Parts: sequence; C-alpha cells; structure tokens
Amino acid sequence: MVVSIKDTSKMLGVSIMTFCAVVVCNLFLNFYIDLKAIKDTVTDPFAVSMYEAQVMTSKVVCSLAGGCLALATIVLLFFYIKHYIDSHSKEIGILKALGYSDLKISKSFSLFSLSVFIGCLLGFGFSFILMRKFYELQNAGHYWEDIKIGYHPELFLLLVIVPTILYALFACVYSLSKLNRPCINLLKGIVKVKEKERDSKDRKDFVSEMRSSVLKSKKTLVFFIAFSAYCFSSMIQMSAHMDELASDFMGMMILSIGIVLAFTTFYISVSSVLFSNNKNIAMMRVFGYSASDCKRAVLDGYRVAAYIGFAVGSLYQYYLLKIMVEIVFKDIADVPEYNFDFKVFFITLAVFILLYEGTMLLYQKKIKNISLKEIMLE
Amino acid sequence: MIEVKDLTKYYGDKEGRFKALDNVSVSIKDGDFIVILGASGSGKSTFLNVISGLETIDAGSVSFDGHELSKMSEKELTKFRKDNTAYIFQQYYLLPHLNVEKNVRMGADLAGTKDFSSYLEAVGLKEKAKKFPSQLSGGEQQRVAIARALAKKPKVLFLDEPTGALDEKTGRAVLDYIIKLKEKLNFTMIMVTHNENIAQTADRIIKMNSGKIVDVSENAYKKDAYEIGW
Repeated sequence: MVVSIKDTSKMLGVSIMTFCAVVVCNLFLNFYIDLKAIKDTVTDPFAVSMYEAQVMTSKVVCSLAGGCLALATIVLLFFYIKHYIDSHSKEIGILKALGYSDLKISKSFSLFSLSVFIGCLLGFGFSFILMRKFYELQNAGHYWEDIKIGYHPELFLLLVIVPTILYALFACVYSLSKLNRPCINLLKGIVKVKEKERDSKDRKDFVSEMRSSVLKSKKTLVFFIAFSAYCFSSMIQMSAHMDELASDFMGMMILSIGIVLAFTTFYISVSSVLFSNNKNIAMMRVFGYSASDCKRAVLDGYRVAAYIGFAVGSLYQYYLLKIMVEIVFKDIADVPEYNFDFKVFFITLAVFILLYEGTMLLYQKKIKNISLKEIMLE
Repeated sequence: MIEVKDLTKYYGDKEGRFKALDNVSVSIKDGDFIVILGASGSGKSTFLNVISGLETIDAGSVSFDGHELSKMSEKELTKFRKDNTAYIFQQYYLLPHLNVEKNVRMGADLAGTKDFSSYLEAVGLKEKAKKFPSQLSGGEQQRVAIARALAKKPKVLFLDEPTGALDEKTGRAVLDYIIKLKEKLNFTMIMVTHNENIAQTADRIIKMNSGKIVDVSENAYKKDAYEIGW
C-alpha cells in the first residue's frame, strides 16, 4: 500500500549488514554445534584446552559480532523508516486523510524486513561456501579428528527466520510511533522542531549554526558515521594480527567485512545527509555560499564523530584481542603475546585520514554540481 | 545595470528540444522596478534564472555592470551572487531547523551585517525571531524570506511569484512590504508574475510569450499594493 518491494531494494545497507552478521555467526555457531558433538572424543589435555578455547571463541565472536551488527541493523532499519516517512509524508498524509489508520499504514512497513531476509539468506548460504576452509583452519593443528560439517535447521530458524520476523515487528512498531503526527503536518511536510533545539545558544556565524542544526536533525547519522569509522579502525587493525593469532583466511575475512561495513554505512550516511539537505544546499548556493561553505555546514559536523569512532575501534580491537589471548587462550602454548601495535595503528590512521578527507572533498565536488534549478522545479 | 542581448536558451535534448528563450534583449537600469509578466510556460522564470546567474545560456549575452555572466567560472558566479543578488521564491525555502533569526542570518552573514534584527523589524517580525518556520503562517514565512534577502544588502533583488502562494490579504501585505523596502533601500527589483494587477506596481512591465519579449512598457500609472485589483 505505502511501501512496495521496489522500496525495499533501496535498503541495501540493511541487507549487507545482516549478510555480514549471519556469515560470521553461522560459521562460528555451526562449528560450535559440530564441535560440541565430538566433545567426548577429545581427551588429550592440550586438545581439551584448545577445545575449550575454541568453544569460548565461538561464543564471544557470535555475541560481539552478532550483537553489534544486529543493533546497528536495527538503527539502520529505523533510520530508513524515518527517512521514508519524511520523504513520503505527502502520500502518507493523503492516506491518513482518506481514513487509513496508523496501524494499517504501519503494517506495510513490515515489508522492509524483506531486505533482512535477503541479507540473512545470502549470508547463511555464503557461510557454507567458507565453512570447509574455516573448519580446516580451526583444526589446523589436528587436535581432534576432522569434523564433518553438519547442517542444523535450528540455525536457519535462528539466523534467517527469527530475524526476519523480529525486524518486521520492529518496523511496524517503529513506523507506528513515527506516523503519530497530525495529518496536516504530513500533507504540508511540516517539520516539528523539538523544544531543546529551540533554545540552542547563538554561535559565531550562520555556517556554524547550520552545522549544528544538521547534526541535531539527523542524530542517527552521527552514530553511523562513528560506526563506519569504528568498523574500519577495529577490523583493519584486528586483521593485521590474524596471521599470528589465527590465520590469513581469518584476517582476510575480518578485513573484507570491516571494509564492506565501513564503506556501506559511510556511503549511506553521507548520501543521506546530502539528499536531505539538497534544498538547503541549493538555497545556500543561490545566496552565494561556496561549495566549501556548504560542505562545512552540512558535512564537517560529522568529523568529530568519525575520529571518535576510529579511536573507540582501536581500543575495542586491542582489548578484544588482549582478552582473547590472555583469557581464552591462556592454557594454549605458543600463542604470541599481544600488545598494542602502534605501527599498524598509525598506518590505519593515515589511510583513514586520507580516505575520509578525500571522500569529503569528492562530496564537496558533488555539492558544487547540485543544480540550483532543482529547488525551482518543485 | 543589466544588459541582455540576443539571449537564447534551449531545454531538452535533440528530439524534445525546445526554445525557452528566443533572442531576448533588454536593458535594466540600477534602481529599476521591473515586472516580467507572462502566462505559465512563457519563459519568464527561465529569464529570471538566467539574468540572476543561476542558469547558463546557449547564445547571446547577459552582462552585469559590464561583467559578462556567461564568461564567469562557477567560482566567479558564486561571488557574483554573493556580492550582488538576492532571491525570493514563491515557496519561501526557509531552512526548517533554524529559527527566524538564524534564517535571516543566512543572508546577513554574507554581507557582514551584524544588526540583522533591524530587517526583522522592517518586516514586522521582531517578536517572532525565536520562532521556527513551521510555527509561522505563509505570509509570515514570506516576510522572513524578504528579511533574509534584504539582510544580504543586494544590488538586485529577484522575486519569482513572491505572492503566488498567499491569499489576497496576506499577498497585498507582503507586496506592500517589498515595495516600501525597495523605495527605502533603492535596490533594483525584478519580479516575475502572471498576475496583471501586480504588474501595475512596477516602473516597467516586460511582457513575455513563448520565450519572447512581446512588449515593454513604462508604467505611467504606478499603483501601490492596496490600489491594485487581485
């Protein structure tokens, strides 16, 4: 009715995030279940401690990767829904004016979970392509007999069906809360400004005011910019140590997931900021503000969030690996000591600065190309 | 002084290409109040966009105080708009997340105007400085747009159907504000409208049809916003 299947195709970010989450979780959970099945056959003391360490690793990785990505997916899903309602407020307003209830309209938002289903399904399938190699690497030291890859329907239920149903429910409930606006406001596209924002203190100039207003109006994007920097920082630094701590394969997997997540969330966030400020940017350009002024007003506010995200990611990967090495693998011999690697940190930081600032300059060019006529065509 | 010579502008590609402006020539003196009158599709808005440096041209020339707009780079055009022009649209285009005062500051900052509250006072909205666009009526929003444009201290003010979205009472009030402020500050004003009554407030009326100027007339019987029909 409101949301069509075509609309869900735009939620590629949600599909990518769920894909990554399910790949990681299914690899480790499938391995965990199969490993549990051979528990009684593992008797050698070294093999037992290795077994315990791998069981623990599976639990930690599933909880952290699955938990973080599931949370980020929820935020992204909510962001998409809010963005959809804002950009289709007139159509929704017409439906409400015709007598459609909020509940009836909100039900159509459950279709957004189709992107979750597609991401989960592809992730589930793709994990089986990696599974054999993963199992071999987990047992590279031949601590126990080769484990046969089992197919566990309960994992399909847990990682594909349950998330799809849950996200459909989240989409309905969240959209219901966002649709609770007067019909006339939706029809006229009136933006309600929160009380807190009304009393913001005066800043030096208009560009600073605009920057602050853009940040406040799209708080979710602050999270996503920070999240993309966090993914980039943590996963790239983590992957650099995987050849010593696990395997090259694991390093490549973490690196790929980190890069895909970082670039997807970053692209979605920045494109969304530009899209929602298209008219404001065009108006600024009409008045004579340069593309650089517009970039300062619309994009520069996110820089702090990006660098904080980077710092948090660096700390996260350090403490996670430290815990894994010192607690999970404490009984295993030959596990190298893990210290904060400043060399990798500074190289990652330099690459991050280059990519972040370079991308911002590219977006400045994009701002320059925003047609001033665009606002007159409405 | 704005000098337009043999101006031609096309829209569309090969098959659907059509002439939006056809060999248009006109000159506008400093301090003039010009109304460009024409029906929908006559090319009046395109003409306004071109002479204000918002759109490129395909042939002819547009010069502003002797500087040719079509030869300016994007950077120079930005500076040209910053130093010389301001725009008022039918749809106001206020920034929804900024209050009235901060919207006016958008124009004021470019001209280095510190006392932007005087512009709010001029349009009778000083008490609503902390309100947001969504809390104002259409007429009030357009007055904020006027204050924002004037705080920029433009040499030329371009207006595209500024009262088009307003009812008669509010429309007259807004038009009255604009005309009085123009008389007080003596900037050049170029307004596009399809309303022949509104055209009666101008010094000169340029009539357009099918992308051509069909008539240019001095308005000997200039009226104010409350004397015209609606």
